Amino acid sequence: MAERRHPLVEVSGLAVSYRQGGGWQRVVEGVDFDIARGEVLGLVGESGCGKSTVALQLLGYRHPAMRTDAGRISLEGTDILRLDRTALDRLRGETVSFVPQNPTTALNPGMRVGAQIDESLAAHGQGDAAARPARIAELFGLVGLPDSPDFAQRYPHQLSGGQQQRVCIAMALACDPKLVVLDEPTTGLDVTTQEQIVELLVDLRARLSMSMLYVTHDLALLSQLADRIGVMYAGRMVELSATPDLFADPRHPYTQGLIGAIPRIDGTDRRPSRPLRGLLQRQSLPKGCPFAPRCDFALPRCFEEVQLLRPHGPARKIACWRVDEIGPAQEAGEALPPPLPAASGALLEIDAVSVAYGRGQRRFQALRDVSLDVRKGETVALVGESGSGKSTLARAIAGLVAPETGTVRLAGSRLAPAVKGRTPEQRRLIQFVFQNPDASLNPRATVGTTLTRPHDFYFPDRTSETGSRILSALADVRLDQAYARRYPDQLSGGERQRVAIARALVAEPSLLLCDEILSALDVSVQASILALLQRLKSERGIAMLFISHDLAVVRMLADRVAVLFRGDVVETGTCAQVFAAPFHPYTHALLEAVPAPRKRRRPAAGRRAETSASRAGCAYAGRCAWQIGAICETEAPPWRSTGEGLAIRCHHSLDDLKRRATWPGDVEAMPQRRTKR
Amino acid sequence: MSDLDIRLAPAVQRQARLWSLWRQMPLSFRIGSIILAIHFIVAATGPFWAPYGYSQMGAGPPLSGMSLAHPFGIDQLGRDVFSRVIHGSHIVILLSLSGTLLGLVLGAIIGLLSGYVGGWIDEAVQRVLEALISIPFLVLALIAIAAAGTDYAGNPILIVLVVALVYAPRIARMARAAAIDIATRDYVTVARLRGESAWSVMLRELVPNATGVLLVEFALRAGYAPVLIGSLGFLGFGLRPPTPEWGLMISENRALLIIAPSTVLGPGLALASLVVGLNLFTEGLARVLGRTVKLGNQ
Repeated sequence: MAERRHPLVEVSGLAVSYRQGGGWQRVVEGVDFDIARGEVLGLVGESGCGKSTVALQLLGYRHPAMRTDAGRISLEGTDILRLDRTALDRLRGETVSFVPQNPTTALNPGMRVGAQIDESLAAHGQGDAAARPARIAELFGLVGLPDSPDFAQRYPHQLSGGQQQRVCIAMALACDPKLVVLDEPTTGLDVTTQEQIVELLVDLRARLSMSMLYVTHDLALLSQLADRIGVMYAGRMVELSATPDLFADPRHPYTQGLIGAIPRIDGTDRRPSRPLRGLLQRQSLPKGCPFAPRCDFALPRCFEEVQLLRPHGPARKIACWRVDEIGPAQEAGEALPPPLPAASGALLEIDAVSVAYGRGQRRFQALRDVSLDVRKGETVALVGESGSGKSTLARAIAGLVAPETGTVRLAGSRLAPAVKGRTPEQRRLIQFVFQNPDASLNPRATVGTTLTRPHDFYFPDRTSETGSRILSALADVRLDQAYARRYPDQLSGGERQRVAIARALVAEPSLLLCDEILSALDVSVQASILALLQRLKSERGIAMLFISHDLAVVRMLADRVAVLFRGDVVETGTCAQVFAAPFHPYTHALLEAVPAPRKRRRPAAGRRAETSASRAGCAYAGRCAWQIGAICETEAPPWRSTGEGLAIRCHHSLDDLKRRATWPGDVEAMPQRRTKR
Repeated sequence: MSDLDIRLAPAVQRQARLWSLWRQMPLSFRIGSIILAIHFIVAATGPFWAPYGYSQMGAGPPLSGMSLAHPFGIDQLGRDVFSRVIHGSHIVILLSLSGTLLGLVLGAIIGLLSGYVGGWIDEAVQRVLEALISIPFLVLALIAIAAAGTDYAGNPILIVLVVALVYAPRIARMARAAAIDIATRDYVTVARLRGESAWSVMLRELVPNATGVLLVEFALRAGYAPVLIGSLGFLGFGLRPPTPEWGLMISENRALLIIAPSTVLGPGLALASLVVGLNLFTEGLARVLGRTVKLGNQ
């Protein structure tokens, strides 16, 4: 770090306020950091901590409802905050560029992608009109897109989400900027695409040696990308440290909580992650350290005295006066209750269910002959990438889509394919919780109204108890009874998801269908909802079908796991069995894709172009790294079972699969393989 | 003294807040609401202070033209046109608003249900609505009045029903578009999974979330309703004389346009200012309701 003395960017004493009601609310306070040339700085924190605000300040972003109160952002000696409009126009894109969170809304839908990049090249006078197409092709090549002229002629809607984000990255790189600011660039993408984008950024970083500021709430992801990480809380930087140090030995209580909250896939026992207490509440911050109300180590002095970043060791700064007393993080937590005995009877039996959408040429087979049981009180996880049919299966169980063939039985009685044909009792016993908490609550109804309706609907003869039932449902999801009078827009994402769960609980269901219910939430909020689900599971004995692409979460919660690929179940077994060798080749690839702290990234094995060949053979043929040969594409693979519950659908024998499997954690044992593309 | 302060402070504060809210509204909204306020005040209080009765003859020499005592002149039968306009105000406003409101309720119910239920029912309903919309509205109104028969001719309720019939299909299409958007939200799916009837989903989930669209739609349609009612009156299919309905008055006095232009211009001016006021108001309202980002203006 010889460059440290002359960093590219120096931010000092930055303070920003937003207009709120009649006054101004300070959202960023006294933030200092610098970024060296070629360095990647990660900025992490819960939503609302001010990390995006800081990132936008590096581009000199101004808004009528926003005000920069103090501070200086010096980029090679010029103060960005003092630049005028024309100077900023020159700066943006040319010296500092931006990659937004959502590529779908960032790209102009009415303009070809090549033209959109051309626009930014032309605006900065990069090359003449004749030379620019070659530069655009070069940029597309750089970000792993086809560099053919046809591709530049496409419209954004003709590209996948991952490709759209690559176009945004190409646009950010167009003028060889010195600094790229990335604001949650992978949050909207599914896990396999996310992995590819992170891979691309790691690769670009090595090749282009430019500086990056990477803003995210996903700490695990930063471990693969960032040189240093700044942790923000309520507008203040609480810890700034080199990435390996931060993960090996987090020191600030908030950082310890954040790292403790990451569910870990390589944990040998199933320890519940240690959730951070409470939530960030901007209205009631103390005068001193903003984290004090949620801190396990807080003393009266913490509430009174503002904590500033102080050097702690050579390359580390921490804003906590008790840091030496607190010491390293304690490995937390009581062990989970043992898994349920397998003896309990089947609650839900899914037998050879197939679902297809569309007709004729457009026909899309979403599920093929899926069979699965859920026993009483058992949590079964469905994992797979987007498009694997996980949500379709949940929708078929709920009666939102009718299966073409196959039957679904609940407690022995056959369920009608459509929800209309089911009895009220059957509808009550199966409750659905959706992914997006913003869309799952009626914005014009109070929480109380939202909870009252299902109660009065399912239990019309006990409406006298409605009030008390609702309060107890709120208590079950750890919300105060005052929440009954609030509207959804007055709640945070995690609180909304709790209300959605409470709405399901009011019906007293025996099966909860959870469709990616954690993926829209912050890490620490995820951990607390996860703890809530674990408690419901052990106290109420509610069975769950838990759909997730997050294998670490699945490992913490599920009793059994079913892995889906393109509408086929390729592996089922208990959680321990699925997460241990032998693996189905696809399960293996999924496990490799999981970002985790202390795991070095390496090229994903054998991702090949997808063939839309006839589906006579294995669904995974064509992408499989361990493909045997033609047999995979022509013959349906057999189920291979250990007799103890694990079943894998593959042409390889179980012994063979076991031999090939490597636990993704042990990198050294793995011979380096290059990606074939 | 001290508790007086406590009671005063919030009132002063509320006043200041209302004033700043008013200042933030678009100019068209402010002008429109002033015009409308004048119209409503005249409609509510006019019958009590109008100089003459609406059918009182002998107010002055017939066709004597504009004067200070008779700002809009005197018509053929010797009635004061200004008084008649004042007396007619509440009729026009009441008929316009109740007709539009009925159209809104019908249209919203049809549109929201059709959009939510979907399938062949939606297709069938849409074709019927398209057929109704394709008929020019004046023609549709005349057909409806003719179909109602002579017994009901000139009945104010018939006018209200006709306005509703003309507007309902148009409002239904807007409501359907809103319903299709809202029906994809997860909270509607939750209600469907619960087994709620379409009617209950509409009342509990769709209507509260479509209020913005429906309010704008109501305001826009209400702005044109006086013209529709006036046209019917002008053509002789509206209310019966001697009701001081403005369109009817224009029609009655149109032969006198050369001799006593003020007898036509008076009700015309009243009608035009009401329509312009409603339109300015609704245009501003649509902009306020459609605005998402609130920009600071300092």
